[in-house]
Amino acid sequence: MKVWQFSEQAYHPAFDVPGAMRVTLSASHCDPAVAGTLLNRYLDEYVLADELGFGIMVNEHHAAATCMSTSCMTTLAILARQTRKARLLALGIPIANRSNPVRVAEEIAMVDVLSGGRLEVGMVKGAAYEVFMSNRLPARFSDRFWEAHQLIMEALRNTGENFSWDSENYQYRAVSLWPRPLQQPTPPVWMTSSSAFSSVEHARFDYTCATFLSGAVARVVFEGYRKAYLEAHGRPAPEKRLAYLGVVATAGDRKTAFERAEQMKGYFTTAARLDVQFRNPPGFNPVKANVKMMQAGPNAVRPRLRSGAPLPADPTIEQYIDAGLMFVGTPAEVYEQIKQFYVDVGGFGNLLMMGQAGTLSHADTVDNLTLFAREVMPRLENISLDAPNVHYEAFA
Amino acid sequence: MSTEASTADFLKAAERVEIQGLKLELIVKGAGSPLLFLHGMDGVEGCSRIIDLLARDFTVYAPSHPGFGGSELPRAFSTIDDLAYFYLDLLDHFDLRGVTVVGFSLGGWIAAEILVKDTSRVSRLVLGAPLGLRTAEGRVRQVADIFMLHPKEVAAAMQLTPTADNVPLAELPESLLERIARNAEAVCLFGWSPYLYNPKLHLRLHRIRVPTVLLWGEQDRLAPLDYAKSFVAGLGQARLETLEACGHRIYVDRPEAAAARIVNFA
Repeated sequence: MKVWQFSEQAYHPAFDVPGAMRVTLSASHCDPAVAGTLLNRYLDEYVLADELGFGIMVNEHHAAATCMSTSCMTTLAILARQTRKARLLALGIPIANRSNPVRVAEEIAMVDVLSGGRLEVGMVKGAAYEVFMSNRLPARFSDRFWEAHQLIMEALRNTGENFSWDSENYQYRAVSLWPRPLQQPTPPVWMTSSSAFSSVEHARFDYTCATFLSGAVARVVFEGYRKAYLEAHGRPAPEKRLAYLGVVATAGDRKTAFERAEQMKGYFTTAARLDVQFRNPPGFNPVKANVKMMQAGPNAVRPRLRSGAPLPADPTIEQYIDAGLMFVGTPAEVYEQIKQFYVDVGGFGNLLMMGQAGTLSHADTVDNLTLFAREVMPRLENISLDAPNVHYEAFA
Repeated sequence: MSTEASTADFLKAAERVEIQGLKLELIVKGAGSPLLFLHGMDGVEGCSRIIDLLARDFTVYAPSHPGFGGSELPRAFSTIDDLAYFYLDLLDHFDLRGVTVVGFSLGGWIAAEILVKDTSRVSRLVLGAPLGLRTAEGRVRQVADIFMLHPKEVAAAMQLTPTADNVPLAELPESLLERIARNAEAVCLFGWSPYLYNPKLHLRLHRIRVPTVLLWGEQDRLAPLDYAKSFVAGLGQARLETLEACGHRIYVDRPEAAAARIVNFA
């Protein structure tokens, strides 16, 4: 298993401001000097992650105190020069929110050559509320996503003459990437999924499929992927094509680890602070899915505990662990929790590890990453479903 | 009768007709000269009361716009223009002449887009708090942005009448939930950006030369009375009539008064 360090790069001093953390939060709460200090700090932690043998994952959000990285590729352009070995994963670029997919391809190619071919590219639909900042049409969002994806891939793959492009939303006279990407035919592509249905396309394209903080749902996502992969390619899906994102807090002793987890919990409590009208703009999801959501009510999307009960509104650290959203404890305990989850979901080859989240300090993050790299990462390297002493225990 | 039951009852009268390959949900009601009724953002079911009132004096043709209710949405449709051309096909299809066109809110925008193209089958026009002209300029917003408001704020901006019953969504029949989801998606498709307007419409409004009445609720909190001025200016010959104790959904807050004005005008 490969482990990737990830932080949302929050402006955590704003967590105390009452109300929403996204879309409507006034920028008057942002002290740009503090923002600069924090962003530099998070970049330092990514540089450390490179030295410790992690891969690096960055994301982006807009108009949010929970995430100051407003462009995956801007952040990765810095890390392309400041890191030496790490694979650099953008997970991801919300391509249906971008007005200019060729520019997306240009930025991908530029970071790929700068980094010596270390870039991995996630193309994501992204969070529904991002359309309020991009102003791109929520209706027919998925169609536009695949349209942009096709154009970006054509641009990245092109080694022949320049080409022109004409589709429903995008028209170009001359598509030509200078530079073009170093990795051929393209940097590895990732996508995200939270259902068996949406992982099918990813499997057909042979893209890596990641699921975020989904707990038991990860099993369903991975099963859908494996089934579709076997059908499309005639061979089992390799584990490296599957990824899970969870929060990791470790320390030399259990008490300190739980204290760190409490700091990181701020990620969950702030990410949820968003006014209701921005959660699911009309048209972003298909009519059938919207009908199901209305029928199921607000509890439908909550992660589940192993008992099958929904995760309560303000869960304890133990409940986050139980639901597979957090891995917390001494290195030995964290290893056991990850291994159990790995077995429960049928295996995966990438752990996207939130090694910094919420209000976790720089010193704690450094210790968290260092200890994990020294004591957990080596044990995860050769984890396998075929290994002895692995006991299957399905989620309820 | 609950809102849910009366909606189901009202929709029983709906038929499906195919026009230019598009399967349309259409309610035809009443007797008298033809009236094309173009509903607002909450679908044809939201206008049931005023449609019933108008059916006493007119043969009312009340379709669900393509994408709304039970009407198909062709993949190629993406603007109000597409709906306007489709409704010109509908007038041809039924060979209607001397038609009174009535449109409220979003339907008023559609009505204006139809008539700037062709008024040959139309004798008069009633626009009830229409949208379609510029809703904001720079940092100044004139028409409230429903996509940015809490659902309760949207309800308050739309009508003065309290929302009838508080049945949880989960308890409504699936067919009704599907209509709610389709109506919301269609409003988004046609009105997301530019927000509920066509930047070219003001250049074309002068082409509407049939007698026109503008109805406006004095307490319209979505599109305040001030917004009516640009329609009055653009239409030239239109008469503006306001209604007291009335919000944006004229057909909910003052259906009897609005129907009476339409009948008198015709």
